[in-house]
Amino acid sequence: MLQQTMQRISVYIISILFVLLCCIPEAKAQDEPPDTVIIPLKIRAGIDLAGPAVYLYDNDNLNIEGFVSADLNAKTGIFIGMGYSNFKYSQYNYEYLSNGYFLKAGVDFNILKPETSIGKYWAGIGLRYGLSLYTSEIPSFEHESYWGTTITTIPPESYMGHYLEVSPGFRAEVFNNFSMGWSVNLRRLIYSGTGKDIRPIYFPGFGTGDKTVGFGFNYFLTWNIPFKKISVQIKQEEPEQTEETEEIEGT
Amino acid sequence: MRSYKIKILVAVIALSLLKIMSCTPESCFEETMAYVKATLYQSSTDKNAAPASFTLFGAGVDTNKIYDNSNSTMQALIPLNPSADSCTFVIVINSETDTLVFWYDSFAHLISKECGYTYFHSLDSLTLTTNAIDTVIINNIYVTTNDAENIRLYY
Repeated sequence: MLQQTMQRISVYIISILFVLLCCIPEAKAQDEPPDTVIIPLKIRAGIDLAGPAVYLYDNDNLNIEGFVSADLNAKTGIFIGMGYSNFKYSQYNYEYLSNGYFLKAGVDFNILKPETSIGKYWAGIGLRYGLSLYTSEIPSFEHESYWGTTITTIPPESYMGHYLEVSPGFRAEVFNNFSMGWSVNLRRLIYSGTGKDIRPIYFPGFGTGDKTVGFGFNYFLTWNIPFKKISVQIKQEEPEQTEETEEIEGT
Repeated sequence: MRSYKIKILVAVIALSLLKIMSCTPESCFEETMAYVKATLYQSSTDKNAAPASFTLFGAGVDTNKIYDNSNSTMQALIPLNPSADSCTFVIVINSETDTLVFWYDSFAHLISKECGYTYFHSLDSLTLTTNAIDTVIINNIYVTTNDAENIRLYY
């Protein structure tokens, strides 16, 4: 209950921050636009704050995650993320442990116009492939049947899981070369590595492994290192024809 | 075009946040026991029919009957012992007694995070006496929580 409340409060706070941050580029965009804009291409290194924050009120779920990305041009960047996860869970009839490392690689697409993003703001979507190397263990599970109660242990075993991830999100430079931003992660399981019977309750990078679709959330603090400046031509939008004009032409 | 992209992005994020915030039920609503589904067939008519009297219990557990003089059993659900590789049952059909022995392998299976783990089985063979029972046909060796018939008992 406390976990759900904290999760909701976190989401609300982050949403408010997102709205405030999104107003900044919009306000600047109202200025008279020049013909070209200088965009600094950057290498970024970020750490996730959401995982450690969750751990503060749920000591059974530790997720540490970071990433490195580099801009290829004003719209596209490459992304490599990595992390460690340690998960414990217990129900009335079983206990479960998993821990291990994950690696994500993919591309980020910025949907903001260069004159709006000016190398400081990012709103877009990331597409990634995830690889998880983890150990899964069931220290005990209890099974009751007509014949009595059976208590079993399934010892630790190592597995390799694969998944795809779509990560829409927002990021804004709040100080010189420091950004903050968040993303939600929608994941599709390719293979958990365990076979169909002993599927993992949770596996690092993907999350809840007994379903084929997973969800996650990151709040990143990012250090940006500009390495190159490029000049990007601003596309002038052609004025749209109004319906009234079309009607006059038609008559 | 840009406005269209942003609308899609915002919609995806909003749906994702809703999903993350949504309550996860912690109760188990799924079937967690894997039974051998034994359908009872009358040999004379070759039709699925309940005998006038049907009793089933594990050998040595006659104080705890699974079915006790039932007159409406068309399919019997037979629980195997996951701690053993064979299980013996006593079946009484219309006052005639038979013994049915299952040989099988058991393996753990995750039902869901909420329900946890159970045991599924893979039938190797079975032996029986033929007092009331004529024949047994194995249709499906995998004993799981789904409804598929495993064996057909002709009496």
